[in-house]
Amino acid sequence: MSPYKIDENVYNSLLELLNDAYFVDSKGNFTDFQFYHDDHWLSDSAVIDNLIYKRGEWNIELVFALHTNPLKFIKRQIMSYSCLKKATLSASLMRRMAAKDQRGTLEVKVEDFKICCN
Amino acid sequence: MYNTKERIVNASIKLFNDHGIASVRLQQIADEIGISVGNLAYHFKNKEAIINSVYEKLFEDFQQILGAYLKTPSLLDFDSQVSYYFDFFKNYQFYITDLFATEHPLPEVRQRWQEFMNKMIFQIRKRLDFHARRGDLTPQTEATYDILSEAIWMTIVFWIPQQQMRSKPITETRFKNAVWNNVKPYLTEKGTNEFSSMILPVFI
Repeated sequence: MSPYKIDENVYNSLLELLNDAYFVDSKGNFTDFQFYHDDHWLSDSAVIDNLIYKRGEWNIELVFALHTNPLKFIKRQIMSYSCLKKATLSASLMRRMAAKDQRGTLEVKVEDFKICCN
Repeated sequence: MYNTKERIVNASIKLFNDHGIASVRLQQIADEIGISVGNLAYHFKNKEAIINSVYEKLFEDFQQILGAYLKTPSLLDFDSQVSYYFDFFKNYQFYITDLFATEHPLPEVRQRWQEFMNKMIFQIRKRLDFHARRGDLTPQTEATYDILSEAIWMTIVFWIPQQQMRSKPITETRFKNAVWNNVKPYLTEKGTNEFSSMILPVFI
């Protein structure tokens, strides 16, 4: 037999919460899923790893760039290592993990940036 | 195929119902399932161990029924819980002697019964609140619903023993009728419609 017992008042309030569930809870709006649509482009992004030496440590950054429009990108700092070799290895592993795509790894071409050299 | 332990427990429940817990002997249980007392002793060292197992199963079943609270927001949900209660109280008819026994082989059982019965009343009471809020039941004072929940509880718990005492048939339809008759006077038009469209057609 279970040694745990529940107080009568607590039990009553639990039942009340169950009752409330059918009145208080309501269906969500489509706008609540906006964040999902906003981030949808990330599934079509190429991943670029980047190492930056900062405050005596090698920081690994991953850049997620949309392969059709590389100017749309986000940059995330993942972690840092004091050893460059470790950081390089870890960065390449992270990039491979993040870039895993059934359609093959997407690539960003430099020409797409249309950089003005003036 | 049940294993021997389960067969022993099930046979014990049947014998407890027929003769009462105190008057059942190990020999009777062994005879019931066609094994020797020695074999019985291999599975359960004494009668107390069997009683323990029976109660473990009983309270587990009770817990399952209490867990079926408001799975769907309809009167049908209560109806199905009433069906479970019918099966439960019919299966464990010796409960009635338990409730009034001054002494029990397992002292903690009395307290467990009390605990479960209280939970049962609380659930019925809160269910009335829920349906009143949903518009299935007419708004009444707290006291009225307190009394109604106790009346429903009494019907669920004591309907089977009273039928037995009067040598009347124990059927699920009559049981459910008895329970729903407590609620019917408080049903609103919406509640009555739901009752006749959803519950009456599935009345067994």
